[in-house]
Amino acid sequence: MQPGLPHYLAVSALLFSLGLLGVIARRSLLVMYMSLELMLNAANLALVAFSRFNQNLNGQVMVFFIITVAAAEVAVGLALIVALFRKRQTSHVEDLASLKL
Amino acid sequence: MNSSLIVVEILVALLGLGVLLADLWMPATHRRRLGWIAAGGLAVIFFVGMKDAAEVAYAFGAPGAKTGMYVQDSLGVFFKQFFLLAGILVLIMSVEYSGRFATGVSEYFSLTLFALLGMLFAAGTNDFTLMFAALELITITFVVLVSFQRDRASSIEAGVKYLILGATASAFMVFGIALVFGSAGTTNFNEIAAAQKTLASNPIFLVGLVFVLAGLSFKIAAVPFQVWAPDVYQGSPAPTTAFLAVGSKAAGIVLLLRVLYAAVPTITAQWHVLFVVIAALTILYGSLCAIPQRSVKRLMGYSSIANAGFLLLGVAALSKAGAAAMIYYIAGYLFTVLAAFTVLSVVLAQTESDDISTFNGLGQRSPMLAAVLTLSMASLAGVPPLAGFVGKFLLLKSVVPMAATHPIYLGLLAAAVVGVVISIYYYFGIIRAMYWGGKAGASEPLQTSWPIKGALLVCVVGMLWLGILPDTLVQISTPAVEVLKPELPVKVAVAP
Repeated sequence: MQPGLPHYLAVSALLFSLGLLGVIARRSLLVMYMSLELMLNAANLALVAFSRFNQNLNGQVMVFFIITVAAAEVAVGLALIVALFRKRQTSHVEDLASLKL
Repeated sequence: MNSSLIVVEILVALLGLGVLLADLWMPATHRRRLGWIAAGGLAVIFFVGMKDAAEVAYAFGAPGAKTGMYVQDSLGVFFKQFFLLAGILVLIMSVEYSGRFATGVSEYFSLTLFALLGMLFAAGTNDFTLMFAALELITITFVVLVSFQRDRASSIEAGVKYLILGATASAFMVFGIALVFGSAGTTNFNEIAAAQKTLASNPIFLVGLVFVLAGLSFKIAAVPFQVWAPDVYQGSPAPTTAFLAVGSKAAGIVLLLRVLYAAVPTITAQWHVLFVVIAALTILYGSLCAIPQRSVKRLMGYSSIANAGFLLLGVAALSKAGAAAMIYYIAGYLFTVLAAFTVLSVVLAQTESDDISTFNGLGQRSPMLAAVLTLSMASLAGVPPLAGFVGKFLLLKSVVPMAATHPIYLGLLAAAVVGVVISIYYYFGIIRAMYWGGKAGASEPLQTSWPIKGALLVCVVGMLWLGILPDTLVQISTPAVEVLKPELPVKVAVAP
């Protein structure tokens, strides 16, 4: 059987849900960050699939934007997590509770 | 291809890069001057570079197409002037505050300029791709700006929270854009608007649109995407908080207006109940949670949520009057909030805590600063004759005609009035601390430099101008929203 657009979209939706689950359920900042990348890549997969099956290359250009932005986000994010670890010796979200009421 | 339209953006980008480069040759003791240079450069761009948008012009479209990624129209020009003014005032504030940064003073100025660049592009967005790029430019630079005081644990914590929640919102938006692209075959607002009658019944398109709106709601801190605002506002350096409150929120508002009224007005009209519910919940959440707060910056975070709710009244109104009231309100909000944060950053530059008791006795210590903060709190609470009063009045007035169409609008009006009443209580808590709060910790008057005095003067004049002579801005805001095409909901028979 030839995989069609619905198959790619199903995989993409699955990836997105897995990423969202990871962000919500996991407690380590690094794993949450990886899950966020998974969500972005789910969008990439959907865009490429739509481009391929609709014969419209604009979606693939958008993918390049997303990859670039994700790289910038990772650079800033990892630097921030390292700074947090130096300050607090932790990278768990439970320990980020000094700001409240 | 008409890249002369983005000359303001190019100049701001060059200014940002110039500040970064100049840092290499500038001795460390003189780096604060770069902030003045940046603010001066923006002032030159503000007074010289802005042109009136006589007619709608597009840039970066397909050859021969009558549309493009970037649009220059009256709405875009209004918001570009708004962002440039906010950028100037925030830079003046951050030069004053920069003594608190251990390192990287000039990077702070240049990142502020890059965030401003993202906002300028957001003002002229006519395509989901450009919207994504502009929003990410704002979000990623703000992550750095929020966590800039690396020696303070609370600043880093705020940065991490903004990073994780902001990236989640971006991921939702990107996935939404993918679905919109897949179902519409284009990301251009005009082309989507032309096809929206058929797209309105396409579930993939609607799911995508919901995801995009979720990303935008995060930017303006509307329920249910508001949890980040209090923490991030409290932990960030004061100038960053001010820029988040004004610039980042206004970027969300202009994008929301463009998406809802330029790209999908028919679907917006179908969803009016959703916007009513979100606006009411946002007002009530922000107002109720602000009551017990002791930290002034955190209080401003909840106040910013409540104000996002008031702005959404204009969306719920589904009319040009509503959109015009929104941009009137946000212009008043600019002067009001920047006045408050300029005073805050002068007061907080000396102390570590931002508890309300820090403001005790400010009325005797620095009568001028206390008077400005009093004016701005009164304006936020909606006391006439200040900008906040006219803004709230116009927003409520725009919603009133809709009350005849659907009873839920009466609930929205009630929520807005309750929100205003509650807000008087918590804003006046700060005024009470300044004049009747007991003895101050320190009694010597606070030093204010002349640029800070100038910035405060601009804010006070702006607040009074918009409060006393509302017609002058209404004459600008009404034609500015002419490019938007709101529609009223069609009465549909409820399926049995």
